[in-house]
Amino acid sequence: MTTLRLGWALLRKDLAIAVRTREVAGLLMLFALLCAVVFAFGFLRQGRAAHEQLPGVLWVTLLFTNTLGLLRLFAPDEEAGALPQVVRSIAGPAPLFWSKAALQLCFSALICAFLAPVVALFLDARVAQPQWVALALALGLVGQALCGALCAGLLTQVRLREVLLPLVLYPLTAPLLLGGVQVAALAMDGAQLAEMQGWLMLMVGFDLLAVVLCPWLFGRASA
Amino acid sequence: MASSRPARALPTALGVSFLWLCAAIAWVLWATPADEALGIVQKIFYIHVGSAFAMLLCLVAASGAAAVDLLSPSPPVDAFGRACTEVGLLFALVVLTSGPLWARKSWGAWWTWEPRLTLTLLATLLAAAVLAVRAMAGSAGGRRIGNALAVLAGPTSYLIHIAVQKWGGTHPQVIQGGGIQSPAMRVAFWACVAGLLGVAFALVALRARTLRLADCLAALQLDRQAATLRQQRAAMAGATDGQWAVS
Repeated sequence: MTTLRLGWALLRKDLAIAVRTREVAGLLMLFALLCAVVFAFGFLRQGRAAHEQLPGVLWVTLLFTNTLGLLRLFAPDEEAGALPQVVRSIAGPAPLFWSKAALQLCFSALICAFLAPVVALFLDARVAQPQWVALALALGLVGQALCGALCAGLLTQVRLREVLLPLVLYPLTAPLLLGGVQVAALAMDGAQLAEMQGWLMLMVGFDLLAVVLCPWLFGRASA
Repeated sequence: MASSRPARALPTALGVSFLWLCAAIAWVLWATPADEALGIVQKIFYIHVGSAFAMLLCLVAASGAAAVDLLSPSPPVDAFGRACTEVGLLFALVVLTSGPLWARKSWGAWWTWEPRLTLTLLATLLAAAVLAVRAMAGSAGGRRIGNALAVLAGPTSYLIHIAVQKWGGTHPQVIQGGGIQSPAMRVAFWACVAGLLGVAFALVALRARTLRLADCLAALQLDRQAATLRQQRAAMAGATDGQWAVS
């Protein structure tokens, strides 16, 4: 209960800062938009957008934007010099981990809700079964938030962490990217759930693994 | 004297393994028949498959050692895990170099997004990332962070394996598929595998020992610096007391 209470308090504090300043979310959305525009330029063929590139553009843009968000995830506590105290709080490092993972999930869900229609518009793509794309995005964002919070938290005191974070995070979250892109591609073609089930189960498996391992590893490595 | 025995035994083991491997390669080049379809390029398999075995064993051992070291910190286990990661990365590079040489001849392309190739590439990138983090994070922090990431990399690699298998692939099944028909080829193949695994084990043992010695040396240097600082502080305190006594 202490973990939950402390985690909720930390999350409320971070959300209050985010809402009051409106800096990080706004800048991340702008970056996501810019990234989508750059990708759309990259896939133009004789002046026409390549709509079949939608899954790749959407997921890679999300990955890049999430990476930028993760680099700022622990910054408020770090700049205030409060990180060591929060880690050594009464309930250990677990509340900090869960609050940061939840905060990252909030940010990435917001960006995703804004980005997905924009990318579909830019690439002139129509998705036959958007509900499965939404499910895959939800699963992907949960896994990325958990792994991202772990990696960002561990790298807070490390030199060149801006370079190291993507180096570590991208291969670790590769199953989510593979699954998400495949589900989106199948949903665009109007495939049935049975065809996507394997990929969705893979993403569920990854999320379960992340739910169990990431908080434990965060606790052991920051103890 | 007892401590100098492993120091001599490990380079000897590495030398013996290396000579064995050279003899096996010579056997492959001169005594095994060339493949009817692929010609001499098929002989890459003798090195490629053994290197893949060594890579897999080293990276799995690295992940296991990282978990053990996180649960109960132990400098020898940590050194073993680091050595396994480094040697695993070395063999991964051999696999990623020899694979495309064969693929160009067999598949007509240097690289395809085939399951095993993709898994090997991602495992290599993960191992390189873990080593980079350890190098950047310094000794104490780097050890914990590197171990945490290495533990997560183990099951993630398995999930990557499942993911890329779902694509389906055309990678040849040398062992399970009964790919080696000729007895001469079979003997040469297993001799190469034994040689490569021997080299890998010897390299891991040597590297782990070197890392342990480097850690011991760093600890000794720290002790020496601390002792010098204590002496300087005592001398300064003595001088100050003397001044007070004179005044």
